[in-house]
Amino acid sequence: MPEPIIQLRDCTKVYHKGGERILPLDRLSLDIEEGDFVALMGPSGSGKTTLLNLIGGLDSPDEGGLIVCGQNLAELSPRGLARWRSRHVAYVFQSFNLLPVLTAFQNVELPLTLMPLSKAERRRHVETALRIVGLGARMHHRPDELSGGQEQRVAIARALACDPRLLLADEPTGDLDAQSAQEVMDLLTALNREHGKTIIVVTHDPKVAQCARRQLHLEKGVLARDTASEPARRGGA
Amino acid sequence: MRLLLSALLRKPLRTLLTVVSIALALFLYCFLESVLYAFNVGVSMSSASRLVVQHKESLAFQIPISYRSSIRQCEGVSAAVPMVWFGGLYKPKDATGEVREEFFAQFAVEMQEYLSIVPEVVVRDREQLRALLADQAGCVVGDKTAERLNIRVGDRIVLRSQIWNQPGNKPWAFNVRAIYTSDSPSFDRTMMLFHYKYFDEGREFGKGMIGIFLMSIQNPDRFQEIATAIDRRFENSPFETKTVTEKAFNMQFVQMMGNLQLLLRSIGSAIVLTMLLVAANTMMMSARDKTREMGILKSIGFTDAYVFRLLIGESLVVAALGYALGAGLAYGLFNLAEVNPKPDFFPIFTMPREALLGALGIAALTGVLSGIVPALAGMRLKATEALRSV
Repeated sequence: MPEPIIQLRDCTKVYHKGGERILPLDRLSLDIEEGDFVALMGPSGSGKTTLLNLIGGLDSPDEGGLIVCGQNLAELSPRGLARWRSRHVAYVFQSFNLLPVLTAFQNVELPLTLMPLSKAERRRHVETALRIVGLGARMHHRPDELSGGQEQRVAIARALACDPRLLLADEPTGDLDAQSAQEVMDLLTALNREHGKTIIVVTHDPKVAQCARRQLHLEKGVLARDTASEPARRGGA
Repeated sequence: MRLLLSALLRKPLRTLLTVVSIALALFLYCFLESVLYAFNVGVSMSSASRLVVQHKESLAFQIPISYRSSIRQCEGVSAAVPMVWFGGLYKPKDATGEVREEFFAQFAVEMQEYLSIVPEVVVRDREQLRALLADQAGCVVGDKTAERLNIRVGDRIVLRSQIWNQPGNKPWAFNVRAIYTSDSPSFDRTMMLFHYKYFDEGREFGKGMIGIFLMSIQNPDRFQEIATAIDRRFENSPFETKTVTEKAFNMQFVQMMGNLQLLLRSIGSAIVLTMLLVAANTMMMSARDKTREMGILKSIGFTDAYVFRLLIGESLVVAALGYALGAGLAYGLFNLAEVNPKPDFFPIFTMPREALLGALGIAALTGVLSGIVPALAGMRLKATEALRSV
């Protein structure tokens, strides 16, 4: 049996706020297989985003161990962690987080500038990523010339450009209307099914969660429920 | 580089205003340094082989021209040229027929000897030189004044001195016989020189008295010994002398304005500092606005060091643009276009190289100081915190 792409063992994260001790994650243990599509759900403050940040190497646990893509993240220096992130993990945020003065092409090209690629190779990667998200014709538009759904698709293209194994999305449909949200989720589903990307989505929206194969419900930093979504499972079979 | 450019273009108006405020501050600094240089330029154009003999008490008092032969006899002295400050006003008519008052420095000198000991005065046309020496009412005018006041060889110019009258209060008339220039960039090209003999014969009072002797000596290393010997010669006479180097002589004029220079420098520095602080504050605010972008870059995989370089680079580029604009404008105006804001007061008005270097230092310091705090903060910023910021 292949090793899980994500292995959390007794991970605890502690914050101190105004003298109060907050435990967004409390000895959480979890395995996620490669190629899985996971929805992280739970009320505000339940630890969803904290967990996503730990997996993406943006934050580190105060206790416990964490192995992602075969790498024990505790062993990496900040510089090594940044390099590891650029190769294996990509983020999609609720508010798109595109750089406003760059075109769609340039935004997608941004993470590729960290790779040892020629200009022509970078161009090929960018065009492929933008084609996958259906924005090949709008690559020279700036974010303010795109709709919210298109901006999020550019953000997904940026995430895809480096061909990461793991795609982490923090409420990717939170700022979108229903139709755009559905388009984005269809895109993520296709990436999971057709390109084998492991996707973890933080969401409050049950409709979004239904697109995932597995739904993890967090409450007060612990895993309250771990369920599989039937339609997704059927689709994946 | 593209990220740096995009950071600068994110709020182009703010970037432009910041660049302009730095440019203005540096332009002001360059202008101020040019003014101070103009005050001091007389000192730098002095020759080590020239001495000046003046009245011991003050320049306001005259000394007799009869001292000349005695001075010449001193060992080591090769020439002694009498000079008198004329202080005349030139009143040409402008294109509309209106009379205006123009001032420039004029001296009565022993022409031939003066030209031999002041080689900085160059009359290129031999015919002009011959005519100047032949005409007792002739004069030579610096090319800058000639250009400014549209004076040409062959013109007859009339001056009215604020000190020296002719009998019947007649104005002084001179024939412009030559135009001089100079190969030395720090030599005064605004003066007018005319024959002492013509002046002395024409003046109503003070005949036989002069302002200073400009001397040349064979060995500049012996200036102290020669100066002491000359002053000793006229000790206890009605007109005791003080002999100093040309540099020390010119320095007297600078020292007269000592407090003015200090005042100018203080006020100028305060203005420049205030403008730079405002610019630095804007640059820091601009960097703080990019907190979320820093978080995005870090989440994509850019390192802390890269974020540091990006933020400090942005500050340095803004400061460099301000420098290029401000110092470049000053250099272009004062050194290339030779704009002189007060040509009758400042014979030479150029921006010294030190001002360019000083402005570069100020710009670099502004860039580093305004960029270092946000750059360090950006480097230490955790991506999770940055992404939480609005």
